[in-house]
Amino acid sequence: MSHSPGRRGFLFGGAVIGGGLLASACTSNASNDEKSASAPALAGTDNEKPGQKVVIGFSAPAADHGWIAAIAKNAEATAKLYSDVEFKAVEPTNDINQQIAAVESLIDAKVGALVILPNDGQQLNQVARKASDAGIPVVNLDRVFPDKLSYRTWIGGDNYGMGVAAGHYIGAKLKEKGVAEPVILEIQGIATLPLTQDRSKGFADALKTYGFTVTAQQDAQFTVQSGTDVATNLLQAHKKIDALWNHDDDQGVGVLAAIKEANRNEFFMVGGAGSANAMREIKSGSSVLEATVTYSPSMASSAVKLARLIAQGKGMSDLVEQGVPQSITLASETITKDNVDTYLPLGFES
Amino acid sequence: MPDIKDPLLVMSGIVKQFPGVRALDGVDLEVLPGEVHCLLGQNGAGKSTLIKTLAGAHQPDEGVIRLGGEEVRLTGPVAAIRLGISTIYQELDLVDGLSVADNVFLGHEKARFGFTRTADAHRAASELLTRLGHGEIPPATEVGSLPPAGKQVVSMARALSHEARLIVMDEPSAALAHDEVDNLFRTIRELTAQGVAVVYISHRLEEIREIGDRVTVLKDGRTVAVGLPADTPTREIVSLMTGRDVEHVFPARPAPGSHEGRAEVLRVEGLSVPGVFQDVSFAVREGEIVGLAGLVGSGRSEILEAVYGARRASGKVLVDGEPVRGVSSAVRLGLGLAPEERKAQALLLEESVARNITLGGLARYARLGWLDRGRELADAGRQIDELGIRPADPGRPVRTLSGGNQQKAVLARWLVDRRRLLLLDEPTRGVDVGARADLYAVIRRLADEGIGVLLVSSEIPEVLGLADRVLVIRDGRNVHESDARELDEHRVLDLIMEGSAL
Amino acid sequence: MNDTRTPPVGKLPAPVRTLRDRGGLRHLGLVGALVLLCLVGLVTRPDTFATSSNLVTLLALASTIGVITVGMTFVIIGGGIDLSVGSVMALASVWATTVATQSYGPWVMALCALLVGTATGAVSGLLISYGRMVPFIATLAMMAAASGLAQRLSDRRTQLVAPENDAIVALSTTRVLGLPILVYIFAAVVAAGWVLLNRTTFGRRTYAVGGNAEAARLAGIDVRKHTVLLYALSGLCCGIAALIIMARTTAGSSTHGYLYELDAIAAVIIGGTLLTGGRGTIIGSILGLLVFTVITNLFILNGLDTSDQLIAKGLIIVAAVLLQQRTANTG
Repeated sequence: MSHSPGRRGFLFGGAVIGGGLLASACTSNASNDEKSASAPALAGTDNEKPGQKVVIGFSAPAADHGWIAAIAKNAEATAKLYSDVEFKAVEPTNDINQQIAAVESLIDAKVGALVILPNDGQQLNQVARKASDAGIPVVNLDRVFPDKLSYRTWIGGDNYGMGVAAGHYIGAKLKEKGVAEPVILEIQGIATLPLTQDRSKGFADALKTYGFTVTAQQDAQFTVQSGTDVATNLLQAHKKIDALWNHDDDQGVGVLAAIKEANRNEFFMVGGAGSANAMREIKSGSSVLEATVTYSPSMASSAVKLARLIAQGKGMSDLVEQGVPQSITLASETITKDNVDTYLPLGFES
Repeated sequence: MPDIKDPLLVMSGIVKQFPGVRALDGVDLEVLPGEVHCLLGQNGAGKSTLIKTLAGAHQPDEGVIRLGGEEVRLTGPVAAIRLGISTIYQELDLVDGLSVADNVFLGHEKARFGFTRTADAHRAASELLTRLGHGEIPPATEVGSLPPAGKQVVSMARALSHEARLIVMDEPSAALAHDEVDNLFRTIRELTAQGVAVVYISHRLEEIREIGDRVTVLKDGRTVAVGLPADTPTREIVSLMTGRDVEHVFPARPAPGSHEGRAEVLRVEGLSVPGVFQDVSFAVREGEIVGLAGLVGSGRSEILEAVYGARRASGKVLVDGEPVRGVSSAVRLGLGLAPEERKAQALLLEESVARNITLGGLARYARLGWLDRGRELADAGRQIDELGIRPADPGRPVRTLSGGNQQKAVLARWLVDRRRLLLLDEPTRGVDVGARADLYAVIRRLADEGIGVLLVSSEIPEVLGLADRVLVIRDGRNVHESDARELDEHRVLDLIMEGSAL
Repeated sequence: MNDTRTPPVGKLPAPVRTLRDRGGLRHLGLVGALVLLCLVGLVTRPDTFATSSNLVTLLALASTIGVITVGMTFVIIGGGIDLSVGSVMALASVWATTVATQSYGPWVMALCALLVGTATGAVSGLLISYGRMVPFIATLAMMAAASGLAQRLSDRRTQLVAPENDAIVALSTTRVLGLPILVYIFAAVVAAGWVLLNRTTFGRRTYAVGGNAEAARLAGIDVRKHTVLLYALSGLCCGIAALIIMARTTAGSSTHGYLYELDAIAAVIIGGTLLTGGRGTIIGSILGLLVFTVITNLFILNGLDTSDQLIAKGLIIVAAVLLQQRTANTG
């Protein structure tokens, strides 16, 4: 994949800032949590210092969506921060066979560590296992391999948690307003994906604690245009809406366009993923979009960092353990007008 | 072996009703084993429906079919083939991409457990082809590479492979040149000598006289004559078909030499297409009909296409002194072509008669691309009237018209907008006898109005009867040019065959 | 001389008024289906279905594919097919919303969308007529290439229409006599398409080229030039559709128009246009498209699942085509 130089510079700049901030955010969060705990001997914070040279292989699906595009860019930008890391990304593809072949080529090239976001965890499990068996540590990004022997560390978002965060925001807010039997709509991404089903389940479960249910649910294929079309029809179907959760900020551009076109503002909307557009919209304060729950592509930056640490035999300096944990689930955070400024630099351009 | 007098096939009182049309209204047909039985009738007389009934494609509403004395029901094409009736349609239903042997055994392949047995098939196909007197056709050849005559032989071999007792041939000679027809007749005789009966359909009376044993004439869905001897005089047969006497088939011509001094509409000089025809030169004057006679493949149709700019050629083509550069410029200069394959090359079959007529001169009805449909319709109506296109309904899809009327619609296309020169390629192919006379009259009338006509026909009498002047083309060269009245059929045949016959 | 002609003059049936306008009857099946669907809407959602705002919604939803369908109708009647419409629309929307284009203002953006669409269409046409490629293959190639170019240009991001170019978005948000401007654009394209097809030499030649290309050529029509024009027209329609989708979604994106080619082709075919060319109508295509739009609308109004929508769509296509064959055979 090649880009025009100008844009590349601009985007990478953004991503670098994103990656850097994420790192500091994580650290600061972690140290906050640990403040009250009795501090064991500090592991030292020389993790960022150049260590032994590491070749990190990277394979991800081809970007047909802002989130995936951000994943690839974040990974590359983070790798660039380290003089001891050589980043080897293979051609992104949406074809399972090609991705298997690509990972195999990385294994053959004897890279020091692998970061893989598989098109499908089940189908790429075998090749990931092959890498692990060959002694290459695999950092599994987001879509999980079913076989724990296939990866050293998994880092990913929490789809169920995303739904829960959105459900809590909406539930609490409606409870506070004292709305009885509210009309709550949900616009999903691709309905057939397990991640969508997890999100919806989390959403429904959280709403249940408030005694609410989802009134209507439609899927919008993760595309802007489908977002517009589905939202246009949904707005027709429901003359009065109290709250709307849209799973994905990319398709949210279209959803917001439809709301604007229909000239509706009697409800509030929550987004998903955390794109820069959505954050700017939240920040403006004049939009129906009041909040978004994160599923941040900054996880790719973290994955590269983890791969480096694993390859260099280091642990995470804020933890007591000498090695990197086996599994890291990122919490889905809720971005509102109050905290949007903190998150804005992390937002990905959809 | 049944007695030779026992008929192989007897159809009696066959009735077939379609919505709005009674296509067959009590047809009788009797075919003896080993005879060539000709079926005659104008377009629309019911010939096609009758053969489709025989092929099992249509079920008759009334009537009885007996085969070898037993009453049979032809419930479908497969049933008909099983009973030994094979039909060879005008558009041969062969698969061009398969070999001769594959085509012969299509649908009943020589196979064991689903694996084709090529060697067996080739041997068997060879035997069948030899029985037809064409052992020289290699069974492994791709059918697409064979000439029309060869394809016909393959179709017949296929019929034989089904052990056909009766073979129906729908206008088998239509796509063939003169010498190929002789070959076809030889093949048919091979068949009949083996006791196979042939039902033969053709518009060409000469052929019927040559190959036929007996004739059945249809008119308006009824049998008007059963089992006439094939040497019944033409006039009698034509009058049976049309219900009237045909006296002068060809319209009167102006006196020889009367075109001299009139302006040259077309001048062709040194026209050549490498490998097809070489160095052809001639001229057509206003009001003159010039005929090109020659065998299929002699280059006559290609000369027409080159004149029309539809085929790249070297040499000069001048219309009123202006050179022709491609079809568009030919049309602009006043040329009009009625191509050989009417349906494939000239007509929009689904479209109305009127739209077909105005297609060539659309720009005439347009202002800035906007069509004046009233004027268009009026012009089309006038042409329908003048040429006597029947039915006289401009809105009717052209596919529903008979061959002769379709041909008139093609001619009409070039008449709405006055043409200088018409190029007619086989204008009477597939047109029945009555309608032919009508077409000849129209063509002559157009010439009398000052239009030049360049005519190509496989039927020598047609060229001799209609044209003022005749060019004989052999192997891509103009070998003779003279007034049509100075020639007769024999002389032309001599000129055409000379050299190639030796 | 033998004359079989019935006496001329006067015998001709009174001027036949219509050449081929059996239109009303031909579309009976589709109109019936549409009426049926509307009845279903009235029964299941009496409160919302027949409201004026829902009707506006239906028209706005239909407008994007609707405009593309008009172009597709021409191409298919002309004996071709255009698989590239979805990605050409995406490319046009992306090109028109790049930072560079946006800096010139809304008029240039609109012009850019139309030009990109027309030019890509013309390229397909040139490949088909002068490059002698099969339309299916040439436009398949264009579909892939345009989609790739759209992704490259946008870097796979969703490109928002900048606030200063809100005039584009206004096509969707501004209403004239209760209807968004883009509905008028849609109507204008349909009307222009109808006139072009039925009242001009271009339309007549389109039928001729699709019905029998050889006959058209020998009748003096420049078939190759006409083919290029047909695909350019389809491309132009994609450009207009890009403008509409930019207005509706406030963004240009390489994901726009995903599978639009299939919806547009399906609408044209159930509208009675022969896939082999030579026959068809704009009205039929639009009716076919409305059937699809109403189905989607009904399903969402009633809170039904997308998968069921797809099943219904498939069944409708089959039913419509079967019905059409029956009426075509008897008519």
